[in-house]
Amino acid sequence: MKANRILVLLLLLVALPGILFANGKTETPAPVAPAAQPPAAVAEPTFDELVKLAQAEGSLMIYTPSSRHAKVGAEFGAKYGLKIEVVQLKDAEMIEKVSKEAAAKLDAADVVFCQDGGRVYSELMEPGYVTSYTPPSLRDVIPQQYQNPQVWDLCTKQFIFNSEKSSEQPIKNIWELTEPQWKGNVQMKDAFGEGVNMNFLTMLTKPENAAKLASAYKNRYGKEIVLTTPNAGYEWIKAFYGNDLLLGKSDTTMAESIGAKGQSVQLMGLFTLNKLRTAKDKNLDLQTCYEVEPFSGFYYPIYCFIPSNSRSPNAAKLFIEYSLTEGYAAWNTLGDYSPNPQNINTEDPVQISQWADWLIYEDPAWVAEARVDVEEFVNTIM
Amino acid sequence: MGLVFKNAVEKGIDVIMDMRYRLKGFLRKPHNVILLVVFIVLCYLTLVPMVTMVRDTFLVHTAEAKRLKLPANSYTLLHWKKVLVEASSLNVFYKPFLNSLATSLGACLIAIVFGGSFAWFITRTNMRWKGLLSSLCIFPYIMPSWTLALAWYNLFKNSLVGGAPGLISAIIGVETPNWLAYGPIPIALVTGLHYAPFAYIMIGGILRNMDANLEEAALMLNTSRFRIMYRITVPIVIPAVMSTFLLVFSSAMSSFAVPTFLGLPVRYQVLTTQLYRTLNGLNPGQGYAIALLMIILGVSILALNQKVVGLRKNYTTVTGKSSNIAMVNLKKMRTPTSIIIAAILLCVSILPLVSFAVESLILHPGDYSLGNFTTQFWFGTAAQNSMANSEPGMLRNPKLYSSLWNSLKLSIVCAVSAGTVGFLAGYAIVRGRGSKLADYVNNLAFFPYLMPSMAFSAIYLSMFAVQRGPIPPLYGTFALLVLAGTVKYLPFASRSGINAMFQLSKEIEEAGLILGVGWFKRMTRLVIPIQKSSFISGYLLPFTSCMRELSLFILLMTPNNQVLTTLLYYYNEKGWNQYSNGINLLIVLIVISINFIVNKVTGASIDKGIGG
Repeated sequence: MKANRILVLLLLLVALPGILFANGKTETPAPVAPAAQPPAAVAEPTFDELVKLAQAEGSLMIYTPSSRHAKVGAEFGAKYGLKIEVVQLKDAEMIEKVSKEAAAKLDAADVVFCQDGGRVYSELMEPGYVTSYTPPSLRDVIPQQYQNPQVWDLCTKQFIFNSEKSSEQPIKNIWELTEPQWKGNVQMKDAFGEGVNMNFLTMLTKPENAAKLASAYKNRYGKEIVLTTPNAGYEWIKAFYGNDLLLGKSDTTMAESIGAKGQSVQLMGLFTLNKLRTAKDKNLDLQTCYEVEPFSGFYYPIYCFIPSNSRSPNAAKLFIEYSLTEGYAAWNTLGDYSPNPQNINTEDPVQISQWADWLIYEDPAWVAEARVDVEEFVNTIM
Repeated sequence: MGLVFKNAVEKGIDVIMDMRYRLKGFLRKPHNVILLVVFIVLCYLTLVPMVTMVRDTFLVHTAEAKRLKLPANSYTLLHWKKVLVEASSLNVFYKPFLNSLATSLGACLIAIVFGGSFAWFITRTNMRWKGLLSSLCIFPYIMPSWTLALAWYNLFKNSLVGGAPGLISAIIGVETPNWLAYGPIPIALVTGLHYAPFAYIMIGGILRNMDANLEEAALMLNTSRFRIMYRITVPIVIPAVMSTFLLVFSSAMSSFAVPTFLGLPVRYQVLTTQLYRTLNGLNPGQGYAIALLMIILGVSILALNQKVVGLRKNYTTVTGKSSNIAMVNLKKMRTPTSIIIAAILLCVSILPLVSFAVESLILHPGDYSLGNFTTQFWFGTAAQNSMANSEPGMLRNPKLYSSLWNSLKLSIVCAVSAGTVGFLAGYAIVRGRGSKLADYVNNLAFFPYLMPSMAFSAIYLSMFAVQRGPIPPLYGTFALLVLAGTVKYLPFASRSGINAMFQLSKEIEEAGLILGVGWFKRMTRLVIPIQKSSFISGYLLPFTSCMRELSLFILLMTPNNQVLTTLLYYYNEKGWNQYSNGINLLIVLIVISINFIVNKVTGASIDKGIGG
C-alpha cells in the first residue's frame, strides 16, 4: 500500500538522525602527558593526616588481578576502620573497564592494580585516566625505575623444567630451545591470551636486546646470525615458534603438565615462578633455570594507580602505602617480589635485584610503540 | 496561476487526509502497532551496534596512532588492507576462515546425521524407551558447548600437552592419536554433537507430523522400503534439513570455546579465536573487520535460508484432521538397536557429567587411584584448600551461592523479557504476514544471533557507557546485562512465537473478533491457552541459553553481578580444575532440573521452542 510505504519512509527519516547521531560523543580524550607526580608546591599531608582524610572518605573499592587481595583488603579495612570492596579482573578486562569507567566519570574503582605495560601506557596513562602515587616516605627507598608509574609487585616468569630426573638446569643458552632435541617439548602461554607475554616477545626485539641475542647466537654456533627478519629478536621468535612450540591457556595447567611425575620426555615451559609454591602439594617436580645466556625469562610489574574517577583518593593513597610495606606480606612467596627493598623475600634465596640481571624487564614506552608490529609478526608465523 | 495553486493545495490536503485515514486504519490493528514499536526499538538496538562497528573498522585506534603517525580517531583503510589483501592476511584471515568453514561443515554433517537418525528412530520405529531417550537427546544442547570440549579433552588428551594422560589413554594403555585428541576432527565432532539436538527437534518435528498415508500408498504399489525412504521420506524432510543445516552452520561458525580448547594445543586457528586475539590485543580495528566479515557471512546464510525454505505458507496442525502414523517394526532388531542408541546417547549425555564429577574429586591431577579421591573441594573449608589460595569448598563457598543467585536472576529476567517480546513479535509477524514491515521485523529480530557475542558485548559496552538520550549510562549495571541477553536471545523467542502462531489457524482468533472480543482478551483467553506450551518454550530457550552463556557477559559483568559461568571461567583460568569441573556439573544439573520442572508443570519444553 502506498500510504504504508510513505509512512514507513517518514518514520525512517525521523528515526535516522536519531540512529546516526545516537552515538553521542565519542571519547576523543585529549592526549595528556603521562601520569605525573602531584606538584610539589601543594603541601602533602603527613601520614596521620592521611589516615584521618581516608577515614573521612570511609570506603575503598579495589580492582586487582590477585585473589589474595580479598584477605589483605579486609585486614586493611579492619585496621583503619574502612569499608573495603575487592573486584578481581584479568588484565585485558581490567584495562577495558577502568578506561571506560574513567571516561564516563562513574563511581567505581578507587585504586587499581593492573599489569601489561604496553596497554597501560597507551590506554590509561596517556589519556590521563590514572595517576601514579609514591608515598613520600618511600620515595628515596624504592629504586627510581619502579616509580612513576609506581610498581606494586614484580612477577617473574622463567624457563622452568621437570626436575624428576635431575635438578640441573638443562640449558645454558636460549638458542638451545630452537634445536631439534627440544622440538615439541617446550610450552609457553599464548601471547595473545595475556598481554605481558606479548610484551616479553616485544622486548626481545628492542635493539639492545636483539644485540644480546645475536651475540648469544655467535657464542653458541660460532658464526654470525643470518637474518631473514628485521633483527635477531624476531629471528629467535621465529625459530622458537617454528620448533613446534606448544601454546597453553593457563600457567597453572602448564605447571601441572610439565611437572607431572613419570614422564619419559624432558619438558620445559615459560611460566610464572609462583606456581612452584604449590608444587609439593600437587606432587609435581619443578625447578627453574637461573642463569641462561642472555635471558632466562622475564619479569613484569603490576602497577598501582589511582583512577581519575576515584571518590576516595586519600584512602587509595593509604592503601598503596600499606601495600608497599606491611600489606605485602601475603605475596612473600617464590616468584613475587616487592619493589621496596625493605620487604625481603624470605621464600626465595635469590632476591629480585639478582633476578633483574638474568631476566628482561618491560619498558612500557617501547612496548607501546612496537607491540603492534610484533603481534602482526607472530600472527604470520602461527 | 492562483487556480493551479488552489488545486495543488486541495490535492495536498486530500493526500494528507488519505494518509491520516490509512494511518488510523493501520494503527487500529494491534499487530501493526506491535510491529512498528518493535521495528523502531530493534533498529536502535541492532543496527546502531552494526553501524558503530563498521565505523570502528575505519578508525585509527589510540594504541596504533603513534606507530602509524596518524592522529587517533582519523579514518584509514589500513585494517581492511591487513585483513584482506596483505601477505599476512593469509594467516590473519584466510586460513582461519577456511578452517572455520571446514569445522562448521563437519559439525553440520555430524549434527544432521546423528540428530536426523535419532529423530527417525524415535518417531518412526517401535524402539524401546522412547520417552527417556527423547529427553536424553536434548542434553548436549543444555550443557555449555565448552563443557563437552572439556570432557573430550579430559578423556582424550595425550602426551603432546605433557602431564598426566587422559582417561582413555590411562584405561586402554595406548596413547590416543593427535588427530583424534586435538584439531579439526574433535572440534567438528564436539560442535556437531552439541547442536545435534537442533537437528533432532526439527527433523523429528516433520517426521512426527508426516502423514503415513503417503508411505502406505507407496507400499500398496509394491515399492521397496529403500525407495520409499529415498523418494518420499527424504524429500519431505529436506526443508527441515536445510533449516537445521543453516542454523547449525551459523552457530558453529561463531562458537569460540570449543576451538580454543581443542585447537590451541596444535595451533589450529579459526575465525573466532582470531577475533578474540585481535580484540584482546593492541589493535582491535582488525578484530572488528573480522567480526564484520563474519556478520556478512551470517546475513548471507540467513538470506539463503529465506530463499530456500521461505516463510512457510501453510503449517497448520491444530485443526480437525488426525494423521495416521505407521511405525516401522524392527522385530528382532528392536532390542539391540535400542541398546546401541541408548549407549551412544548415554556416552554423549551422561559420560561428560561423570567425567566432571570424577575430576572434581581427585586431589593430584591425573591420578585416578582411589586413594586420591577427596571431597575437600566440595565440602572442605578454606584452610583445607590452601593449594587453591584458600578457596572454600564449593558448597561452603558464599561466592558460589551469590553467583548462582545472580545467574538465576539474570536468566529469568532475560527469559521473561525476551520471551514476551519474542512472543508478541511472533504474533505480529504472522498476523502481518506478507507486509514489508513484517519481513523487516522478522529479519531484524534474527540479526543479533548472527553477531559474534564478543563483538556484540564490546559494542554494547561502549554504546551504553555514556548517556544516550533519555537512557542513563548503563555501564556496570544489571540492566545492561539484561539488555544484552534479551536482544541476543530474542531470535529464539521470536522464532518459537512465529512457529506457535503458524500452527494456530486464523479462524480461531477471527471467531473471537466477530464476537467483539477485545485484543487483550483474545490473547489471554484464546491464543495463549491453546498454544501455551509452545509459547512457554519460547521462554525456556532464552533461559537455558542465558544460564550457560559466557562470552556475552564476560565483558559486561560487574563485580556484584558475577554469574556462575564467569565464576567457572575464573576457576578455569586459575587452573583450579576441581572447582571448574564441579561448577560445570552444577550448571548442567540445575538447568536440567529446571527444564524438567517446567516440562512437568506446563508441558512446555525446548523441542517445542525450536520449531518441531
